[in-house]
Amino acid sequence: MERREALRLMGAASVFSVLSSDLFAATLRAQLAGNKAGSLRTLSAAQNEIVVAMSDVMIPATNTPGAKAAKVNEFIDLILTEWATEEEKKIFLKGLEEADRKTNALFGHGFAAAPAKEQVAIVQAFDEELAASRNEKLPKQVRSWELTLVLPFFAQMRRLALVGYYTSSIGQEQELKVEIIPGALHGCVPAEPEVKQ
Amino acid sequence: MRTVKKPETYDAIIIGSGMTGGWAAKELTEKGLKVLVLEAGRPIEPDRDYVEHVPITEMKFRGMADRQTTLKDQPIQRTCYACDEWASKFFVNDAENPYTTDPDKPFAWIRGRQVGGKSIMWARQSYRWSDLDFEANVRDGIAADWPIRYADIEPWYNYVEDFAGITGQAEGLPQLPDGHFLPPMEMNCVEMAVKEAMVRQYGRERVMTIGRAAILTQTHNGRAACHYCGPCHRGCITRSYFSSVNATLPVAEKTGRMTLRPYSVVHSLIFDPQTRRVSGVRVIDGQTRKAMEFQGRIIFVCASALESTRILLNSATPEFSTGLANSSGELGKNLMDHIMGGGAEGIIPGFLDRVQFGNRPNGIYVPRFRNVSSKEKNFLRGYAYQGAAEREGWERGIHESGFGASFKNSLRKPGRWRMNFHGFGECLPNPANFVEIDKGRVDAWGVPVLKIHCEWRDNEKALLHDMMTQAAEMLAAAGAVEIRPFNHNSPPGLTIHEMGTARMGADPKKSVLNAHNQAHDVKNLFLPDGACMVSSSCVNPSLTYMALTARACDYAVSQMKKGEL
Repeated sequence: MERREALRLMGAASVFSVLSSDLFAATLRAQLAGNKAGSLRTLSAAQNEIVVAMSDVMIPATNTPGAKAAKVNEFIDLILTEWATEEEKKIFLKGLEEADRKTNALFGHGFAAAPAKEQVAIVQAFDEELAASRNEKLPKQVRSWELTLVLPFFAQMRRLALVGYYTSSIGQEQELKVEIIPGALHGCVPAEPEVKQ
Repeated sequence: MRTVKKPETYDAIIIGSGMTGGWAAKELTEKGLKVLVLEAGRPIEPDRDYVEHVPITEMKFRGMADRQTTLKDQPIQRTCYACDEWASKFFVNDAENPYTTDPDKPFAWIRGRQVGGKSIMWARQSYRWSDLDFEANVRDGIAADWPIRYADIEPWYNYVEDFAGITGQAEGLPQLPDGHFLPPMEMNCVEMAVKEAMVRQYGRERVMTIGRAAILTQTHNGRAACHYCGPCHRGCITRSYFSSVNATLPVAEKTGRMTLRPYSVVHSLIFDPQTRRVSGVRVIDGQTRKAMEFQGRIIFVCASALESTRILLNSATPEFSTGLANSSGELGKNLMDHIMGGGAEGIIPGFLDRVQFGNRPNGIYVPRFRNVSSKEKNFLRGYAYQGAAEREGWERGIHESGFGASFKNSLRKPGRWRMNFHGFGECLPNPANFVEIDKGRVDAWGVPVLKIHCEWRDNEKALLHDMMTQAAEMLAAAGAVEIRPFNHNSPPGLTIHEMGTARMGADPKKSVLNAHNQAHDVKNLFLPDGACMVSSSCVNPSLTYMALTARACDYAVSQMKKGEL
């Protein structure tokens, strides 16, 4: 299987990423697809480490906990297992491979093991790539039932990391301070500091 | 409200326990009748079944819906905005409840089979129709005339509003009569600014008012005021919005004269050719599939517009070979729904130091302004807008760039203000939009299913186009930027304002029901739900169904007392 076949399997996106060696690619795939992580049903231990690290770079702990504490990885595993189509799942898992490959090419080790600065650089690259591919500035009005993850990997990652975080207990209660029962309606009040949204 | 063993002959049988069935149950039991309410679906216990306060953190798919299951079991219902991860259990299983359409003419038939029907998930918008609506057909010379005018229904609007509790703001507009309102909900800062801009631009021609909704803004008839949690369509444990479960059925229950039988799928009505009356109802038990019959002196069919017509079509007899009470040939014809999915949205700059507190379960409303005093060249009738302004939430981050601590901190605060107008346009009655029995198919209970033939026609399409451009114009007048007209290509049915197919009328040759929702051909048969509508207005119809039902009940009981029934 040679380089061409490896590239084909990894999809067109990998063409512009730097590939260090075919041997590396094959080993990487074997490692990533290996043992499942704990109670997870789709992500392997290695894939899970990437998801945990990347989501936490995107939504880090500040004065509130971040994506890792909110277990965004477990939400993503559920979506991949019970919600996503095979096609959507494939895009996501290949994206994880690509993240590792990019990191390896630039820094000589995988994404999960990389220091924070390197992880930020890789996420930055993904983010810029996605921004360049967006042809519209305005949010696409997707009706909930039309929601699809047939999107570039990092668009999937953005949606799932954000949904996973902001709909978690940490996201709802600590970060957004959502009140389920406001108890009153005031149409027009100052944003701060009287009322927190 | 549990199944109780009672003698099997009733003064009245009501088919359906939703918006109109609940009203019929309340009115007829309060007037002393012993009533059997047949509900096709399961019982609803608010303590157990309402889910409006279940936080998103506890939902398995965190609001993204159980996609694989709904694709399999609810491929049509899931296209309704209210059929979300919480409330999908209030919508039917499409596989068990099939219907057919022409291949290129989709119709989204959204249904709720449970005690309360769709009154549990409805959007609660409650407006009076006017003589602009009741005189529309005769003015335009199409279809048939309504047998009633606003003066006939006005006392009944008063009556049902006083019981249900409708929040709203009086505006003095002839095309949208004011009601007996509870205090209005507040507009937010941006809505107030847009309203003022519209006054400057349009004067009294286009008025923006707060939505009129069947939601309590103060304690009313023993029900608590709204606590602004937001998602009414998932239930309301404080019974602050109107549904049959929250309001009418408990009153009927209290009389001790109602027997409510869930899991009772009505197959057809039993017609006695000797008396020329309906004598009872054939029912399939939803759980055991056992066939049974119930007898009643009068029958109210309140199963929802298309289910009610389906029952009459399935009740054909040698005399009424095309459907019971169909000597006119009008049964099944003139299906209507409001055309929606067109409008515009945009960003209103500024107001970033202001927020709305509380989740208002209601929006703004712009009453119809086309063909009110003006005369449009391109279309008959008109449309109204529902809409709202709200600040963007954390979801905007999905479509933006950026990540890390500063990104997270920016998403913690609400974003810019978005304002939208969604049009709801009148649909003309057209006999080519019709339903019939698809003789080849039955549902999970063996009841023959409907085949629905319906499509938007030129007048509706012209309205849709105009509602997009005018919404964009209104946003521009209000100083919006990034204005985006939209057209969701919403199929008929999805507005869930399906109307017609058993219309009222003064002439028995041209209509199924008389001015009191009584079948011309079968005197003890009443049908007060959406099937009775002669035209569709552009105004949300539920309040009119409520008023027509209470009015029909009053008439039926007065006729019984006179010995006419």
